Amino acid sequence: MTKLTFSRRRFLGTAAAGTAALASPAYLRSAHAAGGEVNIWTYNDFVPEAFKKQFEAETGIKVNVRLVDDQGKQFNLLAAEAPNPTVDIMTVAGHRFLQFIDNDLLAPLDTDRLSNWGKINPTFSESDWSTINGHKWGAPILSGMEVLAYNTELVSPEEVKSWDVLFSEKYKGQTAYILQDMMSIIMLKMGYDGNMVAYLDDPAKAEAIVEEAKQYLIDKKPLVRKYYDGGAEVQQMFVNQDIALGHSWNGPAAALINDGFPLAMTIPQEGSYGFVYTYNIANNAPNADNAYTFLNAILASPEIGAAMTKASGFISTYKDASNYLTDLEKKSTSFTDEEMSTLKFFRAEANEMKYGFVDPAVEAIKAA
Amino acid sequence: MSDDLAQRTHTGQKRKEKTDLTFWGRLSNWGPYHLMMGAVTASPRRQFVVLAIFPLVWVLFQNLGPMLQMLRVSLTDAYPVAPGVEQHFTLENYTRFFGDQIFWQPFFRTLVFSAVFTFCTLIITYPVAYFLARHVSRRNQMLFLLLLLIPFWVGEIVRTYAIMILLGNTGAVNQLLKWLGFIDRPIPFMYTSFSMGVGIVYLTALYMLLPLYSALEKLPKSFNEAAADLGASAWTRFRRVTLPLTLEGISSGCTLVFLISTGFYATPVLLGGPSTTVFAETIAGFFHVAGDEWPTGAAFATIMFAAALILTGTFQKFMNALRKGDTK
Repeated sequence: MTKLTFSRRRFLGTAAAGTAALASPAYLRSAHAAGGEVNIWTYNDFVPEAFKKQFEAETGIKVNVRLVDDQGKQFNLLAAEAPNPTVDIMTVAGHRFLQFIDNDLLAPLDTDRLSNWGKINPTFSESDWSTINGHKWGAPILSGMEVLAYNTELVSPEEVKSWDVLFSEKYKGQTAYILQDMMSIIMLKMGYDGNMVAYLDDPAKAEAIVEEAKQYLIDKKPLVRKYYDGGAEVQQMFVNQDIALGHSWNGPAAALINDGFPLAMTIPQEGSYGFVYTYNIANNAPNADNAYTFLNAILASPEIGAAMTKASGFISTYKDASNYLTDLEKKSTSFTDEEMSTLKFFRAEANEMKYGFVDPAVEAIKAA
Repeated sequence: MSDDLAQRTHTGQKRKEKTDLTFWGRLSNWGPYHLMMGAVTASPRRQFVVLAIFPLVWVLFQNLGPMLQMLRVSLTDAYPVAPGVEQHFTLENYTRFFGDQIFWQPFFRTLVFSAVFTFCTLIITYPVAYFLARHVSRRNQMLFLLLLLIPFWVGEIVRTYAIMILLGNTGAVNQLLKWLGFIDRPIPFMYTSFSMGVGIVYLTALYMLLPLYSALEKLPKSFNEAAADLGASAWTRFRRVTLPLTLEGISSGCTLVFLISTGFYATPVLLGGPSTTVFAETIAGFFHVAGDEWPTGAAFATIMFAAALILTGTFQKFMNALRKGDTK
């Protein structure tokens, strides 16, 4: 999971409702007029426009958003600016924390300064990946997962019980996936630990597993229509009917479902991986106080979490955010217990070893 | 008394002339300016230096600067340099390319694709340029060129999406073929070397067309008329007169299109398929992937740059030899 680009249509469609929902000023009453600015690097639609306007009006703090579409780019940008970054808040996926922490790019999060910390669902705020070296490093805002999305007019729910359908002759030339992400899923499908944490002490085994997954994807290469990179691409392919099914992040798929496109998504029986986006404060952030004011404000209300979900399609980490979603939005952002039972979260511990093997494998598959 | 009056009148006239002058006029009469211009233009050598300063600074900082920086990054083992990490110079990023065959395929594929697409662009645009230069009145030529320029008012990405709209399963081409009754199911044009080729030819056509138009437009019509008077057929006139005398335009157009094609990234990503991965995608992968992969990406970019320069240099030499051979 490296890139995100989302449809703006969904946001535009829900902007009015979002504005109404966010009109309540209560969540910002505690913030005193501070002035100045706060610089944020984040994905499209992760800062609801209505919230931003209200926050600026009530605090006098100007919110400067720089859109990013890739965790790696964010890391490189920040590394280039360190130790005196221009950014205050970034959006790091939970499983990429370690890389940023190891390079002194993130400041530990002082949750005592966030009176609204308790409004995050503890499943996300207190889970094992969120605490590293005894510190919290980010405020979880949205959760996503790798799903199998399919056009309901072309593919039946019975066919998508397994990831195997993505590699079937029946749908030759009608599938698409992100190679890097698919490597983890294939390893999981083969019964291995796609996070490679289990093989930290046995790099030879890890290498052999990656080789096996690579060979599998090379063998199946004639069946795939497209290796894509961003959420907007898979949306476009579904809309143009270039593909009938494909691997996707749940966000872009949910946005299409909410737009009324005949699409559904599932977590196949072999399982899949989930990830959590967090807002983080940069080490030596130039406007750290304003950053905390912003974080506390954006965590204040489940309506804001719901607005983020409506715009991005990802699942809110806020308690009770689903109360502010329509039935269709709830449906597009929820999964059955059976599906959720097979979901694992991406982990960072073995990333260096894992991607040391996976990156060349991805290049080899593309070149094959 | 009368002398005094005459002098005052003269001084008054001079002052009036001075105030009547424009800013530039006053500047040119200004002493320090005179002195400076005198010093600068005292010799042809000085004039050359003054004239060369701006272009040299421009080329150095705008063109060569980023390339040299990329070259420097390609020779390091870490970039951006993380706190506590010491940067060293190394050739490892270059040996990585030559030591691993998985990178060769996209590299050679890019060169082959670029050569083929350049040839296709030439074949497609030559008749257009010929028609424009030889058969459209001079008055309408600008209008014609303006029409050709219209797609270039928008960026590469928008034009690439236009191709997607055209060639997609529900795109205009498939809809038309279906309406005409030629097909029942859409033809999967998209995400193939065909769709990528259409995109690249579309995006680079103007870079080929303009040098061709320029070469054809300069060619006197009397040359062809003389050849016709001597009994040469239309094909012979084209082969023996028009083509050899437009080799310079062909050479410039092909060089431009080839070099641009080797560097295309967004178009292959959006229009290409699993079997069309080009080297720019490989290079971009090193810049996207977090960590110390920038030096490898920079080294690979340098390799492609050098290869493209060598190939176009060889091509130019060949074309020059061909031109000289034909004009002797």
